[in-house]
Amino acid sequence: MTTTQPRHSRRTEILEDRPVNLDGFVEEWPEKGLVAMESDFDPAPSVRVEDGRIVELDGRARADFDFMDTFIADHAIDVETTEASMAVPSDEIARMLINPTVSRQDVLAVTRGLTPAKILDVVKLMNVVEIMQGMQKMRARRTPANQGHSTSARDNPLQVAVDAAEGALRGFAELETTLGVLRYAPLVAIALQVGAQVGRGGVLTQCALEEATELELGMRGITAYAETISIYGTESVFVDGDDTPWSKSFLASAYASRGIKMRFTSGTGSEVQMGNAEGKSMLYLEIRCVLMAKGAGVQGLQNGSISCIGVPGAMPGGIRAVAAENLVASMVDLECASGNDQSFSHSAMRRTARMMPQLLPGTDFVCSGYSGVPNADNMFAGSNFDTDDYDDWNTIQRDLQVDGGLRHIREDEILQVRNKAARALQALFAELDLPRITDEEVEAATYANGSEDYPERDVLEDLKGAQSVMDRGITGLDLVTALERTGFHDVAENLLTVLRQRVSGDLLQTSAILTHDFVPLSAINDANDYAGPGTGYRLQGERWEQLKKLRHVTSAENPETEVS
Amino acid sequence: MNRLVVGVDIGNSTTEACVASVSGGSVEYLGTALTHTTGVKGTPENTEGAVDAVRRALVGARRSPADLDVVLLNEATPVISGLAMETISETIITESTMIGHNPETPGGVGLGVGTTVSLDGLAGASPDEPVVVVVPGGWDFDDVAAELNAAAERGVPVVAAVLAHDDAVLVVNRLRTPIPVVDEVAAVAKVPLGMHAAVEVAPPGRTIRTLSDSYGLASVFGLDPEQTRQVSPVARALTGNRSAVVVRTPTGDVTDRRIPVGTLTLTGAGKTLQVDVDAGADEIMDTLDRVQPLDDATGEPGTHVGGMLAQVRDTMTDVTGQPAAEIRIRDVLAVDTFVPNEVRGGLAGEVALENAVALAAMVRTSRSRMQVVADEVAEALGCRAEIGGIEGEMAVRGALTTPGTDVPIAVLDLGGGSTDAALLDRDGVCTAVHVAGAGELVTKLIGSELALEDREVAESVKRHPLAKVESFFHIRHEDGTVQFFTEPLPPHVFARVVAMTPEGPAPIPTRASVDHVRRIRREAKRRVFVVNALRALRQVAPRGSLRMLDFVVLLGGSALDFEIPDLIADALAGHGVVCGTGNVHGNEGPRNAVAAGLVDAHADAVSG
Amino acid sequence: MSAPAAVRTLTLKEIGPAQRASRPDEVVIAVSPAFAETFTRTIVDVPHAEVIRQVLAGIEEQGVTARMVKVWDTADLAAIAHTGARLSGSGISIGLLSRGTTMIHQRDLPRLSNLELFPQSPLLDAEVFRRIGSNAAQYAKGESPAPVPTRNDQMARPRWQAKAALLHLKEFECIVAGRRPVEVEPVISRA
Repeated sequence: MTTTQPRHSRRTEILEDRPVNLDGFVEEWPEKGLVAMESDFDPAPSVRVEDGRIVELDGRARADFDFMDTFIADHAIDVETTEASMAVPSDEIARMLINPTVSRQDVLAVTRGLTPAKILDVVKLMNVVEIMQGMQKMRARRTPANQGHSTSARDNPLQVAVDAAEGALRGFAELETTLGVLRYAPLVAIALQVGAQVGRGGVLTQCALEEATELELGMRGITAYAETISIYGTESVFVDGDDTPWSKSFLASAYASRGIKMRFTSGTGSEVQMGNAEGKSMLYLEIRCVLMAKGAGVQGLQNGSISCIGVPGAMPGGIRAVAAENLVASMVDLECASGNDQSFSHSAMRRTARMMPQLLPGTDFVCSGYSGVPNADNMFAGSNFDTDDYDDWNTIQRDLQVDGGLRHIREDEILQVRNKAARALQALFAELDLPRITDEEVEAATYANGSEDYPERDVLEDLKGAQSVMDRGITGLDLVTALERTGFHDVAENLLTVLRQRVSGDLLQTSAILTHDFVPLSAINDANDYAGPGTGYRLQGERWEQLKKLRHVTSAENPETEVS
Repeated sequence: MNRLVVGVDIGNSTTEACVASVSGGSVEYLGTALTHTTGVKGTPENTEGAVDAVRRALVGARRSPADLDVVLLNEATPVISGLAMETISETIITESTMIGHNPETPGGVGLGVGTTVSLDGLAGASPDEPVVVVVPGGWDFDDVAAELNAAAERGVPVVAAVLAHDDAVLVVNRLRTPIPVVDEVAAVAKVPLGMHAAVEVAPPGRTIRTLSDSYGLASVFGLDPEQTRQVSPVARALTGNRSAVVVRTPTGDVTDRRIPVGTLTLTGAGKTLQVDVDAGADEIMDTLDRVQPLDDATGEPGTHVGGMLAQVRDTMTDVTGQPAAEIRIRDVLAVDTFVPNEVRGGLAGEVALENAVALAAMVRTSRSRMQVVADEVAEALGCRAEIGGIEGEMAVRGALTTPGTDVPIAVLDLGGGSTDAALLDRDGVCTAVHVAGAGELVTKLIGSELALEDREVAESVKRHPLAKVESFFHIRHEDGTVQFFTEPLPPHVFARVVAMTPEGPAPIPTRASVDHVRRIRREAKRRVFVVNALRALRQVAPRGSLRMLDFVVLLGGSALDFEIPDLIADALAGHGVVCGTGNVHGNEGPRNAVAAGLVDAHADAVSG
Repeated sequence: MSAPAAVRTLTLKEIGPAQRASRPDEVVIAVSPAFAETFTRTIVDVPHAEVIRQVLAGIEEQGVTARMVKVWDTADLAAIAHTGARLSGSGISIGLLSRGTTMIHQRDLPRLSNLELFPQSPLLDAEVFRRIGSNAAQYAKGESPAPVPTRNDQMARPRWQAKAALLHLKEFECIVAGRRPVEVEPVISRA
């Protein structure tokens, strides 16, 4: 060969090999919607009301509305106040968002009358620190929290149960699972529920599935809430999925009818990913989703790009747009489960930077969720953080004195709770005539890290068992009875108390979670009262003492020992 | 006065309970329940499953445990069974003499004989001598064809080729003069170069004629009678293939050798006989016959069979606390089978069907600890619990409630680990035997003969009829009937051989045809259940004659199988025996015979 | 030792409106609007010439014939593959997007279903395309091929998701609404 390669510097070679250069980056193409939030092709804000009806929305007359416009105009925007709200200059609304002397209620009084383009106009004025300031005040629940994933590459129910128990003990307020083989769902959903209630009574669980089965598991009380009800910002993408805003609202009302907590899911990038962005910026379309969720009457939204994070992640300003979409959910008074839940970057620095706008101000769920299993077992295709990152996360919380919802737990406590969850599931399966869990499996589960550390299960028997759960009509109450009969009285009690919530309906309130003593904590009784320095949620007292603990901290009293 | 009674049958894998209201001698059956047996049958661990079964049966009958008068348990003795398989033949290719892996798509047709030359060295080949070109990995099919055409142009007589990749058809389609080509030879680099070689490809649907024939090989390579004798294993190994390569090397050979896998020592009838396991199943079973009744069996340490027999013994020791020296293997069943194994020395992952012997063994003890179970059941349920009768007798009693039966009656309980027979003669005398080998052995045979990696798939093949999915809207069942569907079948079963499970068609990962899989399935069932049915019945039949039996009733889980009862009935028909599946109380099917027998016996005792 | 990989180019010569055929031994390869025109390589730079050459080789090796169709009025893979399947004499088709995403389809299946789907375009190389061709041909013959193992890589998202979206948009740009599928002859030549 005679061709010569141009010579590179040693430094270039080193930089070329850095993990960040395995990530993909793309130039903007605003005409097609391949742009985060600053596009000349987004509409200008406008609204016009006639006879108590919005007849013009963001430059479009009612006759030209698509079904998203119609739904938002008729259900999401307060017709009474919209003209007054829209008259407030965008920079003034942006300032209200960050001004601590303007209360959250005062901001909501304005935002409930805003159109999508106006909201975009407001958040476009804000840099990422201002977005965080806004989030600090607008988050619905005063106390921030976190959500975890518990899944298994082999759909092993035992792994899901013990990792749920460990995750619950570490602090996740909600836990979700999903499957590789969908037919496994009933067993895995049961395992998640039991594991969670062993780890900490009151943790809420869900199983992401196709919508009919997910609803059925919820109605039976095998799961406690639902989240993966996807919505989109353009009519064409909605229609591609055989859905409309009304069909999604109907589904939402089915959950509400049983007192089951639920939220929608959306995120920047999904429309352009499917090639149907209709020339609008990712954030503009996401704001339409937020308002659609608001109009449907659901209490919350999971957003923050979610499974499309690679798209805004590759765009200039993309992660700012993702932070902004979380803020928009909060500023229209929705619970916000703020993403950070999908593999995002090869670079540990980028992974950390990406979550700062949620961790620092605190959101209702900083991650939705954090992988409570090694990413190799994560059936949501990997999260931005997994079990390997537990100690880093805890250290960052301690460094910055912020509450990311987790805490360090000593190994003996973890082993104990994992073992108990395994035994509880073993007893429950035996009691319900489900495929046996051996003592060897219980032992393995106690000490395991990932699915390969467990003895293999008899998949066919498990699938038959899963089918029989559906055929026999097993409900959450059957789980309670079986746990009680097998001597797991406290777990039975925990699960029963969680199930009772659907009678009181308290979990239908915005941002509701359950504390360890089963008090619902929501925007009603734990309203965010941030009003500047020294107010709102502060990491102090007993909780701060918990978060000071790490795996290795040298004792001040006796520097030859460690405290943990 | 009505009293509430529950009969409980603790079996190897399931525990069955049957609730009845007994008044004088009359019995009203109220309900049944089925749970998994906890622990090994006949041990205190059974209590949990027994109590559970009783509770469930009571719930089903809408009765309260407080009303319970007595729980009747069978006298169950622990039965432990084990399985082992020994491969007893091995095919070895030396000096890369032969390639007979039968690729799906060889190229060209005919026979080419020449000297092996690498494609990389083809430029130096002389036009004098026919060449068989060996193409290493990494060559693109277009380039291979171009090189071969160019060589032919130069006058080099290229008569055949052997390729690393799946490219044979592609290459032949691009040649000006087609030649036979064998492909997918992964270890093509090991083909000896500069040797005399022959490549043969038959037309689609045909098999090779020359290289699979000893005299064909002799003609091709000009062999003398002694050499012909030596290559005859090569010919035999290639029989049935559509394509093959044979390379003539100085000492190259294909051998089919017997693997010594140790001996089995059988003691009984005052004799101790040894038999080599690699002698095959017939020899083993003949030897077994000569030492009946068997007192014990041991296998040579360090062999699979020896290990399996030792493990069966150890497990029983763990269960009963009896010293291992006192545990006796009371029966073995040997079955000839075959396993597809990769050929040692093969260049393309050739697979040969090697002979194997599968062995099942069984041990039971007299040391039952049912009294402990009875005491614990009584305590848990707050009522009396009694050992109501011996399993075999109770099974016969239950079987007798099948409409159309009468004494003398024999029952065959077709289980998972053992096949049990019991006979009740006209005098009310009951004899019972257990023989080794049942459903689990069938699953193992199916799994190994079809090379199914997943035991669950083998289990599914055993339990369900087969079909071939011929389109999204129709399947052809194994009996040839066609069934149409209005909704399309799921894509993952398209064009596949499937097991027709109650949940729908389940694909079987095999390239074998429906007929082939069916034959293996039925053969496995025949070799285990039919053989064992005859063996067990002969042991209980008066003077060992099947003709002395009148009624045979099939019980147990495998009696619910869709074809095993027919296979057994066919085998017994010639002996003038009425054979059918049990139907306890005319409506329970082959289940619950023992539990029902316990209740009936109790009612008789109370009234009598 | 082996010949250096040749650089080949692919041009699609239009033959005429695509017709449904009746010969049962054919697989139809249906490609998206930008395939081998606006774009010449997949998302990971496998040349379209090589993609088609390998798919055709996989089909030919099984003794099955292939026809190629260009679909103009959609860039939706399921729609492209299903269009191909409905034109195919065997009912089997392979749908291909410019970025490499591939699907084996069958005409009796609902459009949104498929026989085999290879959604992770960054993980498809020449060898996989050969096996896809081979499997499609085996389905056409009524055989039961083992599905081509699909690969998965969680870290494909950060690396390729945005580029895939960009390529998808570009593909959309090439849609000619209302234009019927055209039968094309692949002409592969060495550069």
